[in-house]
Amino acid sequence: MRLDIYRFDPESGAPPRMQAYEVQPEAGDKKLLDVLMRLRVQDDSLSFRRSCREGVCGSDAMNINGRNGLACLTALEGLKEPIVLRPLPGFPVIRDLIVDMTQFFAHYHSIKPWLISDAPLPERERLQSPTERERLDGLYECILCACCSAFCPSYWWNPDKFIGPSGLLQAYRFIADSRDTATAERLDFLDDVYRLYRCRTIMNCTEVCPKGLSPSHAIERIRLALLRRSS
Amino acid sequence: MRLFDGQRAWVVQRISALLLLVLAVLALPFASPLDFSAWRAFAGGVLGGPLIALLFGALCAHAWVGLRDIVLDYIQPRGLRLAVLSLIAVVLLGVLVRVLLSLAAAALST
Repeated sequence: MRLDIYRFDPESGAPPRMQAYEVQPEAGDKKLLDVLMRLRVQDDSLSFRRSCREGVCGSDAMNINGRNGLACLTALEGLKEPIVLRPLPGFPVIRDLIVDMTQFFAHYHSIKPWLISDAPLPERERLQSPTERERLDGLYECILCACCSAFCPSYWWNPDKFIGPSGLLQAYRFIADSRDTATAERLDFLDDVYRLYRCRTIMNCTEVCPKGLSPSHAIERIRLALLRRSS
Repeated sequence: MRLFDGQRAWVVQRISALLLLVLAVLALPFASPLDFSAWRAFAGGVLGGPLIALLFGALCAHAWVGLRDIVLDYIQPRGLRLAVLSLIAVVLLGVLVRVLLSLAAAALST
């Protein structure tokens, strides 16, 4: 199995390059991450992030044959060779396939990703009806892997000001939450030509999400919530 | 610039798009070439004048939001961005003023 992997070592001072690898998958190697782990035995200078290896931590997001995805969820079967691996596009590269996620998480924090409620503290827990709980489906599952934001042209052009699909999906997760009472403040924050309205409904985010979520749908719901509020 | 910020720009873009669509459909029966005097009479009329003004108003508003979006995406240096935005605003306002003046002239001559 042939792979072409983006290599960059900031300490060497050399420009980034693509390095060709040849590796023999063994029985039981089903996902791209299995092969990458085997490669690391061959070349321990190859750097990438990984942790849970089952699509829950979101660490091993990378650009696989031109498309963002999680190495641990990408099946080897059907991948065109050589498999071209690059770091997430638009993100500053730290080393090889490892990118700097500082700005991405700064956007995530800016939307206050926690429940804000001025209701008195309940004795046990804040209850929701099954219907209210259902509204969070397709939102709470986001693992912040950044596949969507790193595939969004609007995020490439304005990564410092546009919150990006991932942050906006998370923002809607709290707007949609029946227990959250800060909806007005959240909407005020998002009503900005950059933060929300850089989205041009390109829908790359929905197309590429490894968890099958739809950030563009969430963004549309935020716009409708803003519209409903002002009318 | 709150007038065309955030949600308002988004709403303006959608409403103007709808207007353009409706007016384009309304304009279809007139697709056959009219001569100058017929056009002038239409533009100077109580219905034609406001409709043409509305069409160009919607066109300029739609063009402004769309072009501004492109500028905000692709032109990052502040000075250049301001210059290009100003140029677009001047051209669009020029078009609008020119159309309104022509309509007023047509209305006065009929």
